[in-house]
Amino acid sequence: MSQIFEIRELRKEYGGLLALDLPELDVASGDLVSLVGRNGSGKSTLLRMLAFLEKPSSGLLNYLGGPEPRREVTLLLQNPYLLKCSVFDNVTLGLCLRGDRENLPARYAEAMRAAGFADPQAMASRYSSQLSGGERQRISLASRIILKPRVLLLDEPTAHVDAASERMILDTVRACLGQGTTVICATHDRQLFSDFPTVREVELRRV
Amino acid sequence: MNYFTNGFLTAADLLLNMDKATFSAVEATLSSTTIALICAMILGLPLGFLIGYTNFPGKRLARLISDTLLAFPTVLIGLLVYIFITHRGPLGHMGLLFTIPGMAIGQTILALPIIVSWTAQAIENLDPRCRQTLLTLGASPMQTALHTIREVRYDLGMVCVTAFGRVVTEVGVAMMLGGNIRYHTRTMTTAISLETSKGEFAQGIALGLVLLGIAFIVNAALTWLRHKGRV
Repeated sequence: MSQIFEIRELRKEYGGLLALDLPELDVASGDLVSLVGRNGSGKSTLLRMLAFLEKPSSGLLNYLGGPEPRREVTLLLQNPYLLKCSVFDNVTLGLCLRGDRENLPARYAEAMRAAGFADPQAMASRYSSQLSGGERQRISLASRIILKPRVLLLDEPTAHVDAASERMILDTVRACLGQGTTVICATHDRQLFSDFPTVREVELRRV
Repeated sequence: MNYFTNGFLTAADLLLNMDKATFSAVEATLSSTTIALICAMILGLPLGFLIGYTNFPGKRLARLISDTLLAFPTVLIGLLVYIFITHRGPLGHMGLLFTIPGMAIGQTILALPIIVSWTAQAIENLDPRCRQTLLTLGASPMQTALHTIREVRYDLGMVCVTAFGRVVTEVGVAMMLGGNIRYHTRTMTTAISLETSKGEFAQGIALGLVLLGIAFIVNAALTWLRHKGRV
């Protein structure tokens, strides 16, 4: 499998304080990488850099995928934000930003089913204030997988959800891996991916 | 107490019979206020967005100036604009003194800091995860900015409605720059002030009722926008 991320001597500082120090990490296309580590070990910082939201202070971070990294890599934040519009508009927003408006209802329904919603139409016109925490998490996940990203970055995706939502999120991750998506997930739970056939655990040390 | 009751009865009569002087004041008020609000929005919304959304040297100073101007006394605005548009002033040749556009200039200056400061505040108060979410969905910088504006649309509506409420009820600028000329630049507030000083309460009460009606509509709009903004 081809390599998708190459990281060497990656460091991130905030106001002189070192938040992340990662000597080396190579991620291959289609990998499931579980980033584990204590609070403050830099898991979220690494994900934000992999999502191009932040630049490294020093070191090498190479994306070796396609020509449009920002549109091929997507990050689901730990506490996802839904825009002040309907669930349908939230889920299809990424496609609209790309100017890809073809067959949106069918693609919306497909992504929502993949995220564990049995009746996507019933959710379509609801607003974020009318959703539970688990629903918000899965709707945010649906808004990412509808893009069919090459790399899906997840920041503690099961931290604030119940067991049923956690199971649905893991099923969605399994489906993404089946389609060849690379998944990099920050988690405190080392057992989260215990049912997955192959998972690479990367432990980040607190700096 | 009799004159109070009579005032209300005559006011009702003036309104029901579409009294020319009363409705001329309403028209002058709405004309100058609308022009002022449109100008203040054109200038203030982009400026407030820039201050709230971007980082640049002098951003804090710009915000401080705008916040300070929120307390700009209306008579001082009137005086400053008067100096510019009076016949001896640098813009005297334009003949703006004692006209609706002249009043609108002063009212624009009155509304501008409200729109700039509160637009910047609305953008700054927006959850930082909004921008991160847009970027992680692949939005370009321009798309991110446009969707940020869309996200605070109800707050911006509230800003404009509040500015309208401030401008429509002011007296100082309208009095100094409009001159309170009957059937021309006499607004609701200057008419109320004049009629009261003459001891003629009927037209003052009639105009006060219209102002209250406008205030009710403005507050109903604010309530609706607040409700929508909580979506």
